[in-house]
Amino acid sequence: MTPTLHPSGNVLLAERISKRYQKPSRGDIVVIRSPENPNKTPIKRVVGIEGDCISFVIDPVTSDIYQTIVVPKGHVFVQGDYTHNSRDSRNFGPVPYGLIQGRVLWRV
Amino acid sequence: MSMRVLSFLKQWRGTAKEAFENVSIVAKFLCLLHVTDRYIISTTHVHGPSMLPTLNLTGDVILAEHLSHRFGKIGLGDVVLVRSPRDPNRMVTKRILGLEGDRLTFSADPLVGDASVSVLVPKGHVWIQGDNLYASTDSRHFGPIPYSLIEGKALLRVWPPEYFGSLR
Repeated sequence: MTPTLHPSGNVLLAERISKRYQKPSRGDIVVIRSPENPNKTPIKRVVGIEGDCISFVIDPVTSDIYQTIVVPKGHVFVQGDYTHNSRDSRNFGPVPYGLIQGRVLWRV
Repeated sequence: MSMRVLSFLKQWRGTAKEAFENVSIVAKFLCLLHVTDRYIISTTHVHGPSMLPTLNLTGDVILAEHLSHRFGKIGLGDVVLVRSPRDPNRMVTKRILGLEGDRLTFSADPLVGDASVSVLVPKGHVWIQGDNLYASTDSRHFGPIPYSLIEGKALLRVWPPEYFGSLR
């Protein structure tokens, strides 16, 4: 999540209340529980909400191939700010709302 | 005039202190109840046709514990409560039929024909399916779900009393 977050560690304040009452919106930085490893909680930015049509380059390091998907109902598309070194929805697909743990407010 | 108000308030001081202590005991009890219900063990009302004949159509109350999924002790064949990937405000009850790395073959639409589909459950995901294949929306429709969506494991049924006991 460089340059937004410092690569060697940050302390952030994340709130868990708004996820019960409203859906996340585009541009929010959220803490999610990784769909690949349930013990990890990566922090990514919401780039697309349900119904959005997202076009992304699958692997910016190796090639230029684009892929377009529609975010299904009940899911969000999350992406790290540093797209060259981030495992996010471009790798594991859109994330259901139930996996969102909280929304980041500010850096402490 | 103010002297009378002050002496009046002083008389009620003892009662106010006692009332405050009693209220704080009730508050502590409610907090303990909430933590137990949310994070340790709770009763859940489940209804719907998707888990027949294991669970009744008209609704059962089951005892579910919320500790196993945090320690990774959820296994094949467990009846679990999961948060629906389509609607985050809904909890569904299904059985786990596949863990990460399993290859599963299922009939795409049991009402229509015998066409079967084979999938590999990806890392960090599980495959859930209702016992009633004809009336259940489960992983055959929305795919394998991430393990973190599991919120509890069903232990036994407590209501209706004639069906008290484990869910087999």
